[in-house]
Formats: sequence, C-alpha cells, structure tokens
Amino acid sequence: MASLHLEHLTKTFGNQTVTRNVSLSVEDGAFCVFVGPSGCGKSTLLRLIAGLEEASSGRIMVADRDVTKVPAYDRDLAMVFQSYALYPHMTVRDNIAFSLRTAKRPEDEVAAKIAEAARILKLEDLLDRKPAQLSGGQRQRVAIGRAIVKQPKLFLFDEPLSNLDAELRVHMRVEIARLHRDLGTTVIYVTHDQVEAMTLATKIVVLRAGEVEQVGSPLQLFDDPDNIFVAGFIGSPQMNFFKAKHQGGRLFATDFPDQSCQAPALSAALAEGQDVTVGLRPQFMGLEGNASLELMIEVVEHLGSETLVHARPPGSAQMMTALVADGRNLAPGQAFVARFDPDRLMVFDATGKRLR
Amino acid sequence: MKPRLTLRWIVFAVAVFVMNFPVISTLVTAFKSPGEVSRNPSLWIETPTFENFATVLTTSDRLNIYNYLWNSTVAAGIGAVLPIVVAFPLAWAIVRRGVGRAILFPLVVNLRALPLIIFAIPIYMMFSVAGLLDTRLGLGLILAVVNLPLALMLLVNAVAEIPHEIEEAAHMDGARLPRLLFRIVLPLCRPALITTFIFGFITAWNEFLFGLMLTTSKAVPMTVGASFFFATSGGGVQWGVAAAVMVVAALPPLALGLVMYRRITGSLVAGAVKG
Repeated sequence: MASLHLEHLTKTFGNQTVTRNVSLSVEDGAFCVFVGPSGCGKSTLLRLIAGLEEASSGRIMVADRDVTKVPAYDRDLAMVFQSYALYPHMTVRDNIAFSLRTAKRPEDEVAAKIAEAARILKLEDLLDRKPAQLSGGQRQRVAIGRAIVKQPKLFLFDEPLSNLDAELRVHMRVEIARLHRDLGTTVIYVTHDQVEAMTLATKIVVLRAGEVEQVGSPLQLFDDPDNIFVAGFIGSPQMNFFKAKHQGGRLFATDFPDQSCQAPALSAALAEGQDVTVGLRPQFMGLEGNASLELMIEVVEHLGSETLVHARPPGSAQMMTALVADGRNLAPGQAFVARFDPDRLMVFDATGKRLR
Repeated sequence: MKPRLTLRWIVFAVAVFVMNFPVISTLVTAFKSPGEVSRNPSLWIETPTFENFATVLTTSDRLNIYNYLWNSTVAAGIGAVLPIVVAFPLAWAIVRRGVGRAILFPLVVNLRALPLIIFAIPIYMMFSVAGLLDTRLGLGLILAVVNLPLALMLLVNAVAEIPHEIEEAAHMDGARLPRLLFRIVLPLCRPALITTFIFGFITAWNEFLFGLMLTTSKAVPMTVGASFFFATSGGGVQWGVAAAVMVVAALPPLALGLVMYRRITGSLVAGAVKG
C-alpha cells in the first residue's frame, strides 16, 4: 500500500505533448480513476506511473520514493492490461506464479499465494488450463490474480473491462470494488466509461488533451463541476446545454428566445446582456419545480423504473433529455413541460468556466 | 467411387509420380545389381540386392561413410544452431529496440541474394590463417553464416508477432531482460525456432561448395564424400553404389524433418490477449 504523487509530469512524443504538466496526489488506499475521452492521455499517464514510458519532465513519487527513473521491473507495481496480456505458453498457475518466481520466493510461499488468489478470484478449477482455454472473463480474473499475488504498492488497471460484454462488465466491476475493499491497496484505474468511474472511484481525475480538468470525488464532480467539459463528461445521461443571454435576472435561450427562466443565485452577478451557456442535468428535469421549459417530445425510452424523454423546444433543433420518474403516459408528439428548480441550473461563461 | 473423385486421384497420383521421379528412380537403382542397371532401365527391379548398400556401408582406407555422416552431422548441427543463438537476441533487439532495423537487418537478409562463391577465396585465406581448414568447426562456422539471413528473417517475424503487452506484463512482474528473453520470448518463438533449425540443418547438410573447398580428409561432409563413391572401382560410374550412397545421405535430414515437423504447432500466442 502506498500513496502516489505526480509533480509537473509531462510526456512528449516527437513534437506532440501527450500529458502536460500533470500534478496529482493520490492517498494511500484510494481508488483513483483517470477518466476522459479517447486520446486524452489517460493511458499514457498510467504507463508513465508503471514505468513503461519514460517521463519527458516532472517527478513520480510512489510511497515517497522518487521512481521517475526507476525501470518498470523495479517499481514494485502491478498492472492489469486491457488485453489481459497473459503468458500464453504457461498455465494459469504459472501465470499467477511468474512474478513470485521472478522474485525468487520460496515454492511453499508461491503455492500458498496461488491458492489464496485462486480462492479470492474463484480460479481453483482453472489453475492447470492455458489462457487459450479460458473465456474473456476468466482471463481477466487470471490477469487480476497475477497482479494481487505480488502484493504491490499500487494496482494499475488499464481499461480492464472494455473487452468484456455488458453483463460481465457489471459483474467484474463489483468484483474489483470488492477486491479493493478487501485488500485496501491503492488503485489507479483508467477508463473512458464514466459509469465505471462513478461507481468504482473514491477519487476521479478528469483528463482532456493531456491536462487535468478536475479532481474530486464522484459526487463532487457530478454536483459541482469546474467547467463545461467536466459537467458534460460526468453524469449519465449527459447534461443538457443551451446558449442563453442574461437579461433582467432571467436567462433567455438564444435558440428559442420566447422561453426564459430565472437565473440561479450566483456569488458574482451576471452582467446585463452577458452570453452564457446553461447546463441542466436530465435528472433534475421533471414534473415539479418553480421554473420550466416547454418542449415537444420526440422520443420516449421507458427504462422500467424511470423514463428517458428526448424532446426539443418548438421551433428549435436543440435536443434535450429529461429523466423522469413517472413517465409512463408520455408519448412522442406530446407537449411536455419540463419543470425544474432554477438553483439546479449551472452557468458557464464563454470560455466554458463555471460561474458559481 | 464417383468418377470425379477417381479423376482427382489419378491426377494426384500422376503429379506425385512425376515430381518424385528422381527420388523413385534413385531408390530403385540403389537396389539393382550393376549388371541390371546397365541392362534394365525400367523402374521394375528383377533381382533386388543389398549389394550396393553393403559396398557403401563397408569402410575402407579411402572411403568411410560413417566419418562423412558424422562430419555432416556436427557441421550441420553447428550451422543450424549457431545462427539461432546469434539471431534470436538480435531479432529481439531489431524488433523491440529498433537496433539495426534501417541498415543491418536488410543488409544481412540480402546476403542471401549473393552467390556464395564470391566468399570462397577470402574465407579460404582466413580459415587457412585461423587453422580452421579441414575441421568440422570451420565448416560449421561457414554454414552458420550461410544460414544466418534466413534465421534472422524468420525470428524477426516471430518476435514481431508477440504482442508487446506480454513483454510489458513480464516487466511489470519484475522480469529483467534475460528472464524476459528466455522465459517469455524464447518459448513463444518455439515454432519459428524449430522451423529455423530444420531449414538450417537441411541447407547445411546439403551444402557442397564450402565442403569441397574447405575440407580435404578429416572433415569431409557427406555431400562431398558421396561423390567419392561414384567411381569406387576406378572405372566408369557405378550407378547402383552412387544411388545407394545418395539414399543413405538423404536419410538423416529426412528423419529430422519428419520428427521435428510434428513439433511445429500453430501460433503459440493464442489466448494471450483479448479474444
């Protein structure tokens, strides 16, 4: 178990900067998820921590030890790869034992640790099989087994669930969460799936174009995003955005100016005539609230316990999504008055920065 | 049997016969007596005899087939194994580190395109100075050079097929370069290693030019030694004996190929990464 500190970490490939000046602290025992769209540099950041890429500048501290120049095999970390990367010529048992035998641990200790890992991951019956004889989920469990027997300072996971089908992904997500609770080892986990990030993390790092956009707990990022990117990236379904102009304490939608709503209370008042982007989460649009938007329903998705309503203001192409609890009577073509509390609105300036 | 199937079998049989005619003809001749060879050119043997094999397998002061076989085995063994020993780490360095990818690799592979005869004189002079003339080691070394381009090409392809993540996983598991190479990369290259060994051994076994040039008595290989049998009685060519020596000379690489071929399994990388 260990903490992780990154100080001004930068990685360039040729003239392309993949991670830029990343500074970050992850406490001992945390489950930290790097999340962001494809190409945001999250996997590169993980590979820098692993030692599989060399940092162009900056420092990496694991358990207060500077490992920036230490090769991967000496960092005492374990990594689970997106593609599993099992040793195909070895049995499951030998795959799991490889790191222990590399470290020249006594064979009785190796056997005990394999048995323990097999018990935790339910691999007992598979120990003598080769990777080619395993299903995707079983291979993933072997890859995790290989990581846990090492008792590393940090677990690094590089999109470990992205090759699994939806059902197995949910199952493995729970398994990984349970494993983290039981072992208590610090985890650094990369994903592009914000649901995975929200459900697993104690701390989320949102990345875009190689830079950290915001760091916080899942609910912090959901409730209080710093900018329009984080607001849009975190939360499912995605936050609704529309352009608006501030006039007389009200926000007039640019695209459908016949509709307006009361501006939320902000610490610094909005200037008269200021152009802003307004964000409103689908979860906060429903049948109750002091403010409203008049919409025309285009598509209704009944999810069982709740209903996803895709609608747009009459005369506008701006699609909006509302997640309503009781929407069984809603149908396409109907008028729909989406009500909300104006304090739920988030306001972003022209640069995308949140105005609080 | 359906007519189409019958026709197919006839075509197969004719093709097999035509392509293997030299082998069949040699095999048949080996079992004919000298008189029958000159009288009966057909593939039918009137009175089969082991006389030719007896002549070949009987040693004399001038001819010793066991020595030739042993010389060829040792030299071809060196000529097949040494290129693998050299090419395996080099192939890894070329693929993973890019060492020599621009110049060295194409240069070595293109050596194969050069006629070997152009190396003859400088090698003879070097071997003469180094005391390697007429030694099995000397012959093996030059056969290794002959085999190196093919070995390098096959092993570069084999290393390149191994997913990079497997090697990264080994690094994360604490493996330094030697353990990575010998416990992970080497076993995964096994089919290519066996192929390289078989091709190398057969090429080295069949090599004639350097055998003729660099050996005189102690290290004469089978190919050169076989030619000594062609005129054992001092007169014209004894075709039966010549055929018998060719059959004996062909057996070891044939046996090796048959035994080792079973060990060339498909890709060993199956199941390593997603799928």
